[in-house]
Amino acid sequence: MKTVSSRMDRLPLFLSFSWLALFCIVDIDLNPSVCQAQHVHPAGPSVAPSVGAPAVPFELKTLEGKPANLETFRGKPLVLNFFASWCDPCRDEMPLINELASKAAIQGFSVLGVAVEDGRAAVTEFAREIKLVFPIALDLNSTVKRAYRIFGPPATFFIDGQGIIRDVALGPITAERLREAMKKVGTTK
Amino acid sequence: MKTSLTKSLWTAACFLIAGCSSDLVAERDDNRATPLSFGPEIHIGDAELNPSTPFLRYAPDARLFAIWTEDEPSQPPQTRPAPSHNHKMSDRDPSPMRTAMLASSADGGKTWSKRKRVNRDIEAVQGEENGPKVAFAANNRAYVVWSIPGEKGDKTRANVRFAMDDGNGGFSPARTLNEVKDAARFPIIEVAPDGNPLIAWIDRRIDNPKPRQLYLVRLDPSGETRTKNYQTGEGLCECCKLGIAFADGGKTVYMVDREVDGNKIRNHVLRKSTDGATSFGPPVEISNDGWQVPSCPHSGPSIGRDSNGRLHVSWFTLGRSEPEAGIYYSVSHDDGKSFAARQLVHANTAPETLYTNLIVGEDDTIYVAWSNLDGNGKAQIFMRTLAPDGKSWSPIQQISRAKGNASRPVLALLKKQLHVAWTETDGEASRAVLRSATVNR
Repeated sequence: MKTVSSRMDRLPLFLSFSWLALFCIVDIDLNPSVCQAQHVHPAGPSVAPSVGAPAVPFELKTLEGKPANLETFRGKPLVLNFFASWCDPCRDEMPLINELASKAAIQGFSVLGVAVEDGRAAVTEFAREIKLVFPIALDLNSTVKRAYRIFGPPATFFIDGQGIIRDVALGPITAERLREAMKKVGTTK
Repeated sequence: MKTSLTKSLWTAACFLIAGCSSDLVAERDDNRATPLSFGPEIHIGDAELNPSTPFLRYAPDARLFAIWTEDEPSQPPQTRPAPSHNHKMSDRDPSPMRTAMLASSADGGKTWSKRKRVNRDIEAVQGEENGPKVAFAANNRAYVVWSIPGEKGDKTRANVRFAMDDGNGGFSPARTLNEVKDAARFPIIEVAPDGNPLIAWIDRRIDNPKPRQLYLVRLDPSGETRTKNYQTGEGLCECCKLGIAFADGGKTVYMVDREVDGNKIRNHVLRKSTDGATSFGPPVEISNDGWQVPSCPHSGPSIGRDSNGRLHVSWFTLGRSEPEAGIYYSVSHDDGKSFAARQLVHANTAPETLYTNLIVGEDDTIYVAWSNLDGNGKAQIFMRTLAPDGKSWSPIQQISRAKGNASRPVLALLKKQLHVAWTETDGEASRAVLRSATVNR
């Protein structure tokens, strides 16, 4: 009884602090100099798609206008490479990705490029210039980039035949890193 | 128990009253920055040609100018033979050719002159973070810089182009400013108070030991080259715009950029010249954000100088962990020797690289614009102002209502006329949007 009573005694104090906290939350939204720790993430998944998690489904179209979604690639490993035509490190790694893609059909995996923050004309020119041999999807409204939490290309996700992410490479990938990642999705380069 | 509840309600009411009254006091405070009242959206350029990447600047005669890119009207979709590789292209691919267009407004952005083509040749004028920029001489002569891909179509090894008002209503033929071809992009231009245009860009002519240098060239008022290309910094972020400000009649030049160290940590720095941009001192770190990222953030800082010589900078960083990500602001009270602790202007509402721009009012009010995601997951343009006291921020205002995404806001300000322009994209379509407000100060 004493415990209940002391809890009740603390109630006014608790409610007062609740109001104070509420005011603080409202105020920090208006005044960054008061509190610099307000972060809300209403859009996009709350955690980055990580190793061991299912790949986030997407619906895009390729440069040729064909549908490109995760289901299309289900059943065999998929290398999902986010890039942009204006991005230096993307251009640096692209010959390696292209070389990998040239062996995809024989070795039983797929490579899909996802162009982010880019337009059809620029990406078409890029694909033509570098002679890309794998399909390119256009993420024109940045929905897939956000779903995969890409803050800047390049980024490459290695997804197994069951749609589980087995490795993630942020930034330009090296040949060694690529070999290592391909082993994790059940194939070798 | 009833007494306790009554007490708690009274206490809560007291806090409520205290909270409201402090807001009321703040509203009466002259330093309190208040929200801006913006006019309707004005669309810049030919809507059929996907205008994008607007940049704004007032000319000395008080006309507001906008420069942006549009699809090249004379370039139909390409009909190239099928390439030899097995990546099939459609029969009629869109053309990457884009044109830089310029227009002016004599009524604060309400109506616009007929747009004028800047680049005479058909070129793939670059946009996004790398769009064309215009600056003006005291006699209102316009100078324009932009970037085009290198000879092989490589956007990352590009060229900086320059053209100027030819005095007959058009523009001079463009010429390339970087002496080493296929190595330069992200140009900015300012006309120094001595009347000489100063152009800076990120250069890739040397890749070792520190890739990506800051290069400059000075022109004379007639557009002739006064200097060779010269290097003033190195280790710049590969794909982020630069910022520049002047003082002391052009003797002092401040430049901001994002720098990358050997561990791929990207912090923003200020470089200061006291000899009219001939040489620059060592970079001064604006904030030790510790953003380690091996990829391309594609979002550079912005700088402004107020009447008291304070330097104001805004930028985007993800910081040391994702929850830190957002638009930040800092100020230097000692002419760039050091910067105050950063202030968070707006936290990231989603995993997204944000773009910011900042401008300083005549009364030293700071106007910051940026992109961030709204509650529906669409990128929109937001603004807030910092009062001259350097402490009082206005509430965050959403300026755009884009159906798709809005990004890369730019600002222009003359006396009480403030303008914000940005690019909206929705699928494959884009448009350049402008909104204006009269500031109270």
